Amino acid sequence: MNKLLIAAVALLVIVFVGINAATVIDQSEQGIVVQFGEPVGEVITEPGLHWKTPFIQEVRRFDKRLLAWDGDVSQIPTLGREFVVVDTTARWRITDALQFLRSVRDETGARTRLDDIIDSVVRDIVSGTDLEEIVRSADWQVDIDALPEEEVSIDQADLKKPKKGRAKLEAEMLAAASQQMPDLGIELVDVRIKRINYIDSVRTQVENRMIAERQSIAERFRSEGQGRSQEILGEMDRKLRRIRSEADRKAQEIIGKADAEATRIYGESYGKDPEFYAFFETLASYKAIDENTTLLLDADSDFYRYLQSTRGR
Amino acid sequence: MAGRRKNWLESVLTGKGWQEQGPSGGNSAGGPDGGSPFEMMKPAVLGFILLIIAWGGFSSFYTVQPEERAVVKRFGQVIGITDPGLNFKIPFGIDQVQRVATERVLKQEFGFRTDQRQRASDGRTRYTGQGQPDESLMLTGDLNVIDVEWVVQYRIADPIKYLYAMREPERTLHDISESVMRRVVGNRIGSDVLTVGRVEISAAAREEIQSAMVRYDNGIHVITVELQDVVPPQRVQPAFNEVNEARQERERTINEATKRQNQSIPRAEGEALRIVSQAEGYASERVNRALGETSRFDAVLTEYRRAPEVTRSRLYLETLKDALPRAGAVYVMRDGQTAPLPLLNLGNQNAQKAADKKEKGQ
Repeated sequence: MNKLLIAAVALLVIVFVGINAATVIDQSEQGIVVQFGEPVGEVITEPGLHWKTPFIQEVRRFDKRLLAWDGDVSQIPTLGREFVVVDTTARWRITDALQFLRSVRDETGARTRLDDIIDSVVRDIVSGTDLEEIVRSADWQVDIDALPEEEVSIDQADLKKPKKGRAKLEAEMLAAASQQMPDLGIELVDVRIKRINYIDSVRTQVENRMIAERQSIAERFRSEGQGRSQEILGEMDRKLRRIRSEADRKAQEIIGKADAEATRIYGESYGKDPEFYAFFETLASYKAIDENTTLLLDADSDFYRYLQSTRGR
Repeated sequence: MAGRRKNWLESVLTGKGWQEQGPSGGNSAGGPDGGSPFEMMKPAVLGFILLIIAWGGFSSFYTVQPEERAVVKRFGQVIGITDPGLNFKIPFGIDQVQRVATERVLKQEFGFRTDQRQRASDGRTRYTGQGQPDESLMLTGDLNVIDVEWVVQYRIADPIKYLYAMREPERTLHDISESVMRRVVGNRIGSDVLTVGRVEISAAAREEIQSAMVRYDNGIHVITVELQDVVPPQRVQPAFNEVNEARQERERTINEATKRQNQSIPRAEGEALRIVSQAEGYASERVNRALGETSRFDAVLTEYRRAPEVTRSRLYLETLKDALPRAGAVYVMRDGQTAPLPLLNLGNQNAQKAADKKEKGQ
């Protein structure tokens, strides 16, 4: 009975020790065997089951994968003295776990160091660069002719191609920050500007500028409308005058011709006996006499003469 | 991680069994009646063994949903991917399974969040734009501020890479999307982004995000990048609207002028034709009258020439005979007489009438 008990205890001890000696390294991990605080042997990068001396050795595990770093948002003045808020992000991985363990111990330590290094690099580069250099990229190209009509007032000088552009600046940040990485056992894969924006007070000013810009564009549109309208109305007036005067001219010509024709006809006809015409026309004018007409007859006139002679009879 | 925990669990379980055994073993050693402590422990050991068997049984199979793939690890090392359905594995945490939804199209939102609660209540999708201003506010190439909201749709194309190439692939996707969108928007001028640039921006952003994902080799495939609301900052929006209104106003003013032109020019042309026609009418009337009058005159003249004296007197007298009765008053003038002598008409009524008329006339 006691034998059985001892066997059971022994089995359990073996299992316990075995489990302690077995080390599972995950696909995502790498491990370093540490004995009394001192690293022993190579870094274990191969995932799977590994063995170590139980109890006196322990395994420090580090992530083997690509890791994300996200810095604090920092206010930085650019070369043009605008204050901007810059938020950077970076990708990194632990390439030399031994060095990593010695220099920063763990990820928390690494992040603190990364914060310091990347922040200062970003600060240096942003403060030495104009804002448009950071915003625009090397393939910046604006087709002035293809701009929408409201933007034609944009100053072409403001649209110049950046000397470096965002991608190059990011590459510079990466290069500068990477210089210190081998000491940490870290490889920086990239450094990117995640966000860049004006600080609130500057943003308010920029928005005011945008509002003023839009308002002046609106004003231009309105006056363009007025101008065009006046132009059309002027054109209309010109056309109207031309049409009317031409019509008048034609009418006068026609009338003139007709008058001339009539005059010729009258002349030809009446010219045959001007004296009779005068008599005939005078008689015709008498036909216009009505009760409002007062006639003065000379006593010597033919009509009165016959009246007298009638009386004298 | 999970593997380590299970190992620990196992050791605790076995440790517990041993601890239970320990004191009772001591008892049996010192106790007067041997055998009985072990007999007493028997159900516990039995229960423990049963527990182990049950655990092994339950942890030796797993199901994978149709939209998922499962990554199987043995002692932490990836040994393969299994397809949907019922699958078996080595129990006791030796084999571990991680399910990844590879067939599902996933989505990240920028500048807004779909409000799941609201959607559940009335079946319509609601969005909350507030609270994410920093995510969507960015600078354009002409250094203006713009508010861009967008969606990235992606799929996990390679579950092993997705799990083991990067620690936080989705967070990285989010960061990179923000970075890329700002670069693409910053490389254009604001009005371009607001109007015609949308399609190109989406395409360029997708391309660039995808190439970053390929570089990280994290198994994410970006399907599309879709721009949602692209607007000027809230405070500036009224000014932008004003520009649109002004543009409308310009068109309206021009149209009104054109309308007036279109109204008056054809009318004036019509009037011109009328004036010309009237003139022509006058002309023919004038010529015809001339012709008529002259032919009458000619006719009379022909007759007059046959008997000039008689005709002349006849015409004269006929005319006066016709005209005199109609005249209001007739005066006769004689040389040397100062006032004209009224010719009294014999008909009283006529004279009276003539006098009245004269008074009225004066």
